Amino acid sequence: MMFDYRDFALRRLASLGPRYLPFADVATDAVPLSRLLRLSLFQVTVGMAVVLLVGTLNRVMIVELNVPASLVAVMLALPLVFAPLRALIGHKSDVHVSALGLRRVPFIWKGTLYQFGGFAIMPFALLVLSGYGEAVDAPRWIGLSSAALAFLLVGAGAHMVQTVGLALATDLVDEESQPNVVGLMYVMLLVGMVLSALVFGALLENYSPGRLIQVIQGAAVVTVALNLLAMWKQEARDRVRAQQMAKTRPLPFRHAWGDFIKGPGKLWLLVVIALGTFGFGAADVLLEPYGGQILGFSVADTTKLTALLAGGTLIGFGVASRLLGAGGSPEKLGLLGAMIGIPGFAAIIASSLGGGPLWFLAGTVITGLGAGLFGHAMLTATMRSAARNQIGLALGAWGAVQATSAGLGVAAAGIARDLILNAPSQTSISAHTPYNIVFMVEIVFLILACGALLYLLVGGKTAQRSRKNSVEGSAAPDLQAKPVEAS
Amino acid sequence: MSDDPDKVWPTGLTLHEAEEVHSYLIDGTRVFGAIALIAHLLVAASTPWLG
Repeated sequence: MMFDYRDFALRRLASLGPRYLPFADVATDAVPLSRLLRLSLFQVTVGMAVVLLVGTLNRVMIVELNVPASLVAVMLALPLVFAPLRALIGHKSDVHVSALGLRRVPFIWKGTLYQFGGFAIMPFALLVLSGYGEAVDAPRWIGLSSAALAFLLVGAGAHMVQTVGLALATDLVDEESQPNVVGLMYVMLLVGMVLSALVFGALLENYSPGRLIQVIQGAAVVTVALNLLAMWKQEARDRVRAQQMAKTRPLPFRHAWGDFIKGPGKLWLLVVIALGTFGFGAADVLLEPYGGQILGFSVADTTKLTALLAGGTLIGFGVASRLLGAGGSPEKLGLLGAMIGIPGFAAIIASSLGGGPLWFLAGTVITGLGAGLFGHAMLTATMRSAARNQIGLALGAWGAVQATSAGLGVAAAGIARDLILNAPSQTSISAHTPYNIVFMVEIVFLILACGALLYLLVGGKTAQRSRKNSVEGSAAPDLQAKPVEAS
Repeated sequence: MSDDPDKVWPTGLTLHEAEEVHSYLIDGTRVFGAIALIAHLLVAASTPWLG
């Protein structure tokens, strides 16, 4: 009798079970848009982490907590340390061994845990760092090390979630719909950044230590909730793959990287991404002080500049999705994006040389448009050229290069801005000269990116042709050799 | 209890699969525990509640 009850209970449990498991039972061929939309929620949490670190906490730590600006800069730069490790994370997810046949979801979950953990201790770490309450008497290293740990955890988690999340998205869709997925991912990142900037700004208007704890830990909870929702039932459980995983020995990272970088045009694509991202990266930081100081915009006007830049970028994503979805070449579109950025920056420079605000606004929109086209095209190119068993590594390499150069671009622009704003007013050079020098440097980087892309387009074609020839050449002797081998 | 590693138990999982699901739970608990410990220490440093 007892056994029957147990059997009955187990059967009921088993029939309920799979519905409540976080992985899908079958892999479907066509992934509906609603599911991709849900997956893209992880980008919202990444955007939220970026805004909280670079925007909100940057201000709160300096203004409200009175932490020295140089220390704040060092703390906020810490997550950048993890950016190059993205390639390794992506590779690890490619060769992950799991009895369930999962490759991506375990890493997204781990990254989510790190993000959550970092946010959970961050407010207390910041309060101790600033010497709040009894923490004045606490040894200095406690605040320093715990704040560093919090920023490192959030950074590592966000890098992990984004790299492996993008790899999962690439796994799920076929090549024709990749441009749309890239567009969706970028738009959701932007949406996450804009929304959380507005929400954090409103919530922290009346600062109090309690409010800081609420806001940051609230961000932690929202991160876990959105990431869980994003990865729920996205990756299929797969016994066949699990058996293959158990049998094959994972390729070491060094070898996998060697194979990857030897692929046609891979190295040049990464160079282009680095140059272009650096070129576009500094605009965000410098446009606001430039508009305020040189063109006499008010604070409210300068914040609208950021909206204008983001609007241009959004249009760029939309256009890129459409063109690449119709079968365009991502390399050519990336070239177009970088080329559009050059007159954009030129217009911004011209605005201070007698062009006026209209040139500046037009330049801002055009630069945003170029950045959108370029970013979208480069990610699509990465996805398209990724071998099926190296998707994680390919997107990890993209992320490593992109995040590092974007971080360096923003940091360089920030240093330049501080130098400009703190420089003693000299009569010999006009105020707009240092800004224009930085914008000129951006143009130079974009021209270099264009050059590298042209080389990639021309060199890639010849490489393809020679590869084709060598394949044809080697195929013929192979056929002849077969009977010999058989005998 | 069967030693066959490929047997699918009524839960719909084999032994290895069940162990892996369990390992996520264990890892999660460890990370949460460590985070909670650090958070408590930090709060105690700024607003001591034990005198």
